[in-house]
Amino acid sequence: MKKSWKSVLATVLAAALLAGCGANGGNSGGADSEAAASGSGGSGEAKNVTLKVFIGAPRFKEHFDKFIADFAAKEKAEKNINVSVQLEMPNPDNASQILKTRLASNDAPDIFALHAVNEIPSFYKAGYLEDLSDQPFVGKLLDSVKPSVTIDGKVVAVPLETLSWGYLYNKKIFADLGLTPPQTLTEMKAVVEKLKANNITPFLLSYKEAWIPQLFLPLAVGAIVNTENPDFIERMNKNEGSFSEMKAMFDIIDLVNANGTDKALEVGGDDGAAAFANGKAAMWVQGPWYAETILSANPDFEFGVAPLPINDNPDATMINLSTSTSLAVSPASKNKEVALDFINYVLDDKASNAFYQALKFNPVAKVHTFETYPWVNDAMAYVKEGKAYQDPSMPQSVKDEVGKGLQAYFAGQIGQDDVLSALDKAWKAFNKVNK
Amino acid sequence: MPLKRYKKYASLLMFTAPAFLLYAVFLLIPTLGGMFYSFTDWNGLNKSYHFVGFANFAEALGEDSDFVHSLWFTLKYVVFMVVLQNAIALLLAVLIETRTKSKGFFRTVFFMPNMISIIISSFMWTFVFTQVLPQIAEKTALAFLDQSWIGNPSVSFYSILIVSLWNGVGYMLIIYLAALQGVPQHLKEAAVIDGASPFQRFLHVTVPMITHAITICFFLTLNGAFKVFEVVYGLTGGGPGRSTQVITLNIYEEAFSNNFRYGYASAKSVILFVMILIITFIQISVMKKREVEA
Repeated sequence: MKKSWKSVLATVLAAALLAGCGANGGNSGGADSEAAASGSGGSGEAKNVTLKVFIGAPRFKEHFDKFIADFAAKEKAEKNINVSVQLEMPNPDNASQILKTRLASNDAPDIFALHAVNEIPSFYKAGYLEDLSDQPFVGKLLDSVKPSVTIDGKVVAVPLETLSWGYLYNKKIFADLGLTPPQTLTEMKAVVEKLKANNITPFLLSYKEAWIPQLFLPLAVGAIVNTENPDFIERMNKNEGSFSEMKAMFDIIDLVNANGTDKALEVGGDDGAAAFANGKAAMWVQGPWYAETILSANPDFEFGVAPLPINDNPDATMINLSTSTSLAVSPASKNKEVALDFINYVLDDKASNAFYQALKFNPVAKVHTFETYPWVNDAMAYVKEGKAYQDPSMPQSVKDEVGKGLQAYFAGQIGQDDVLSALDKAWKAFNKVNK
Repeated sequence: MPLKRYKKYASLLMFTAPAFLLYAVFLLIPTLGGMFYSFTDWNGLNKSYHFVGFANFAEALGEDSDFVHSLWFTLKYVVFMVVLQNAIALLLAVLIETRTKSKGFFRTVFFMPNMISIIISSFMWTFVFTQVLPQIAEKTALAFLDQSWIGNPSVSFYSILIVSLWNGVGYMLIIYLAALQGVPQHLKEAAVIDGASPFQRFLHVTVPMITHAITICFFLTLNGAFKVFEVVYGLTGGGPGRSTQVITLNIYEEAFSNNFRYGYASAKSVILFVMILIITFIQISVMKKREVEA
């Protein structure tokens, strides 16, 4: 009998030890931000509120910690509320996964970050997004950004990171040869010929990661939908359209593939950025989100952003405007008032400017007056001329499919029609699952 | 008597309780949950879902050509891996066993790759395949090294094999070495006296005596090869297209990147689980019969 008691004791001790480890590990992340936030508190009458914030971008932790501390000070001063924020910043690869688990298990954070174009539709449908249309920040949003966080006429998130992109070009090569970014496919062919005549590879190809060839789809579909085929996406959502209407996109894809660098299927995004920065090719179908990587490979490198010509209609040559990371409020939040204050504080007249500049994000609101990067200015020049469109909202599975399809197409395993029919199939499957 | 027996089981239970508890919470319950979801159309986000019976299973095996392709690709990989990994490990083990002085050295060298995490070794090999080998080909006359090692679907299968073998042989090698050391010396000597050639000695004395190790190694390689993920993910990501996609990658894609069809992906996982279960069961029961005692 004694022996068995000993083993019970050992078990309990072991369990207690494990539990202790677990509890410590779990809390340490939130503890320091709490301490930072509660620094200004002190008076006994103040209301205490704990706000749970979920943002899958650990690289911005310092900026957010500082911003949250400022916010807490403001709440304390204006409303006498002691706000302590539990900031959770998981790795971006599994952030969306963790967030979904939280939401599904009724443990929603008060404020969470999500990808505007990719995730808002499904989150909205599942009822996880609070309607923010009557919040003060809405009036400050730029007209070019607002549609990306609007669904069914309601604004449901505040945009943090926005992108304006087409393809990147090497400004030095273009200037040396007296080239300007082409406006039509025919002009693009002339540019390609001229580059080849000067022994410069026109395009950098980096198809190892499927999301890079995938970029052709939003560019081509965006351009065509905004010129000659405006109801394509609606019809696809009703199972009435077909990607065979988009076959023209292979004109530019074939041109790029035929005039690119070697061994495309072995080059990933980072290798591609390094090769591009070192002048291995004149153009790269890629967005400016690689700016940091490119400049770290070659700090003096100058590149521009230009819209990719899809056909011979110069009006179809437009910049793609997209919004990625955005902040939304959970309708289940128990501290909605503070959560809404925080959301509005993100676009606060005073605090927001420095915050967005520190994060190196593009301006999204009228309150943002900071100086932007040259490549952002390039793109914004097109946007101001009206040569831009909202990133078309396509199912993620279709985007994944096109990346894989174009890889296989490049490898010569399948033809154009196979790629297009696989896309039709993927979209139909999406409709079936999300009916 | 019954009380004593009860006490014996009670203490057994208590000793295993912590491990069993963790096992149940983190493996057993989620596994059963996954099996449950395989009969639903849950998408991982919605609060509600519907029971769809065996529709997921029928779709996976009937209509999903990508899944069926990944199934065949995995089977091909399994056959190559089980044969090559065991053959190479056994060969190396026998060779190392013949050394007298440098045994430890060779054992360490061959086991070393196994200590590097698979995902890291596949990133290392990506560098070797894309940068080092083409450079070598350029500097020397070995033109065949300048392949599109991970970009060409027919070559990349062998690239995946090379990395998997490089990483996996060491572990099997250790098991075979231990088994070889357990072969009784007197049996070998008796065979020598009977005039058996070295090859005959190996085939008729050594191999029967290490069958238990062969069983274990076959089980491990079979099991591991069916569940291969990191090597393919790190080297080719299943690409170009889906040409090197294995089952686990297909499941991963279905659950986490396509339409988030968790229910459907769970059904595919259950298919994989049942397949591994049946094949390893057959393998163990066939090979167990062949084991002999000294």
